[in-house]
Parts: sequence; C-alpha cells; structure tokens
Amino acid sequence: MIDLELELRDLAAHLDVPMHPPLAGAVLVRITRARRRRRVLTLAVATGLAALAVALAVPGSRASLLRFFHIRGAAVRLVDKLPPLAGHRSLGIPIPLDRAPFRLLLPSGRRPARLYAGDGGYWLRYPGLLLFEFESGNGATLIKKAAVGTHVEYVRVGGEAGIWIGARHAVFLPGGPPVAAGHVLIWQHGVLTLRLEVAVGLDQALAIARSLR
Amino acid sequence: MQSPDEETLVERACRGDPDAFEELVVSYQSRAFRTAFVIAGDAADAEEAAQDAFVKAHRALGRFRSGEPFRPWLLTIVANEARNRRRSRGRRAALALRAADPGAPGEDPEAAALASERRERLLTAVQRLRDDDRDVLACRYFLDLSEEETAATLGITRGTVKSRTHRALGRLQEELE
Repeated sequence: MIDLELELRDLAAHLDVPMHPPLAGAVLVRITRARRRRRVLTLAVATGLAALAVALAVPGSRASLLRFFHIRGAAVRLVDKLPPLAGHRSLGIPIPLDRAPFRLLLPSGRRPARLYAGDGGYWLRYPGLLLFEFESGNGATLIKKAAVGTHVEYVRVGGEAGIWIGARHAVFLPGGPPVAAGHVLIWQHGVLTLRLEVAVGLDQALAIARSLR
Repeated sequence: MQSPDEETLVERACRGDPDAFEELVVSYQSRAFRTAFVIAGDAADAEEAAQDAFVKAHRALGRFRSGEPFRPWLLTIVANEARNRRRSRGRRAALALRAADPGAPGEDPEAAALASERRERLLTAVQRLRDDDRDVLACRYFLDLSEEETAATLGITRGTVKSRTHRALGRLQEELE
C-alpha cells in the first residue's frame, strides 16, 4: 500500500492540470452585481411594506385591500358592482329528513319545516331561516360576490373558520343565475361546510350556528 | 491551521471588506481550481465551479465561524459545486498526464518510458474507480489534503476517510493486477 500511495503522489505531479484562470475579477463583478440587486430588492420591499402599513392604517383602504375571503368550500369576492340578480330560484327536490346520506346538523336539534336536495347539498328551511349543508372535502365551492363596502369578515365558529357577510350579496350556485342573498354566515364543520341565512346580526347568527347538533 | 494574517483577512472579509475577500480569492484561486478540476475532470466545469464556489462562500461568510480554518470550509463548497457539475453532465471527464517530460539529464530513457507507462496504467485504474473512491484518493494524494481536510471537503467523517481510502487503495491494487 505504501508503494501505491507513493506512486499516487508521484502521479499527482504529472497530472495535466491546466493553469488556473484568473478568478478574482469575475468573482468580484458577480458579488458587486448581486449586492446591488439585493440593495434594490431590499429598497423595493421596504417601500412596499411602508405603503402597505400606511394603507392598512386607513380603514377605507384596509377594506378595499381585503377583496377576497376564502374558507374550505366557500369563497367571497368583493366586486365593484354586483351582477343582475334573480330574486328567487328553486332549492331543489323536497325529500324526507331520513333520506340525507349524511347526518344533517339541526339548529338546537329542531327538524326543518322542509328539506330539499339540490346544488350539491341539502337546504333546510325553517321559518325565517335557511340552512345549506354540503360536503366540501371533495373540492366543491360556494362562490359569493359582494359589493365593495359590504361588511365581510372572517369569524370563528366552534374553533373552525367562517365568514360573515352582513349585507345583500350575490350567491352563485351551479346551473343557475346568481341569486340575491341577505345576511349569511358560512363556516366549516368537520367535513361539511354550512351556510346560514337569517335576518339577524352576527352575534345571533353565531349563537344559532353554535346550537347546531 | 491558518496563519494570523489569513485569520485577519477572513475576519475583515466577514465584516464586508471587499479588498480582503479579493485577497482571499487570489490566494485560493489556484487551489480551488485544482480541486474542482480533479473532481470534475474538465477545465471549463472547474472554472465555473470555482467561480460559483467563491460567490457562494462570499454569501455564506456570515455563517463562517471565526477562528475555524478557512481552507477546508472553502474547499467543501468547491467540491460540492464540482460534484454537481459532474453529476449534471452524467459522466466524468478523464484526467490526463502531461506530455512526456524530456527527462532529467542523465536519466535512463528506457526507465523514464517505463515510469510513464506505469503512470498511464495507474491513472486509468484510478479512473475506473467509483466516484466516492476516486474523490477520496484525489483529495488525499492529488490535492495533498490531510485526513481532516479531506473529511471536511467531502462532507464525511475522518473515520470514513480512513476506511474509504483503505478500500479505494485495495480496489486500485486489484485494478492494477
């Protein structure tokens, strides 16, 4: 082994290794360029952050910056103008409560006056209250549009994400024109997404949502 | 072990002094190029690898621990760059021997020819080895790195350097028989 090691050292002295090119110039040019790029980027980010901070400090600007709200199974987009809205549309096919393929959640456990299968889920109609439940794990999404200036905010319902829309807005359901909707609370509940439409404020809507069982 | 001068130079470069970094590049460009060349086996790849390694080293200076030896730290980056190029090319270029030396005055021409032939055989055998065996031999014998520096350069432990060197020499011996 010793001989072989000596031979390898001797071989090293006879290897055809080209003369190294001068690297310092090229390296320094690249470093200077990268430093300049970083400086410009840092300045741009700092300027952007400052502008964002100013915008967020003004309530009007803050509302206009948040134009899109999303939870699993539902998205709300703020638009400058609502599309023409249909006043009424069919909720689907009336079915008995025990025909739903999953266990429906009922406000305070009360049975609905009517139950309809439609729009990829189930509509539960109560006096003055409309509840829609669907399985959102498969990518189904309820799209809503509300005019800029509408009160829309993220909320928590029983620890899960939700969105409150405190005004008239448009709801897009599959296979039909956009229809008008009033105050609506949408939230996730396990594999389901629920939509509660009721003519009350956020606190009462949250109380109804929490009573579902 | 680095000299006090070099330690000062590295400290200045870490503090953002471009002149200090330039001096380091000048001091190490030959070593960096040779390291990249024996790993990649191609001059153009070696030049790119060495250049990229210096740029990356400059970017990483903030993470360099003061007092640590600079050479193995730099060579680790160089070796990585060279191996990446070798990998992306899918094959390694072959090293070659310099054109035959005229021979020392008074040297027996027949003995010189035999020695040259023996070197050719040895180099061919080295190039038949697996990349990891070849890399460890290149670091230890072609670049004359210590076991510790080889370990740092190749990103392996000193124990692995020992065992891999032993294994590579054994395989080399078999290739030559």
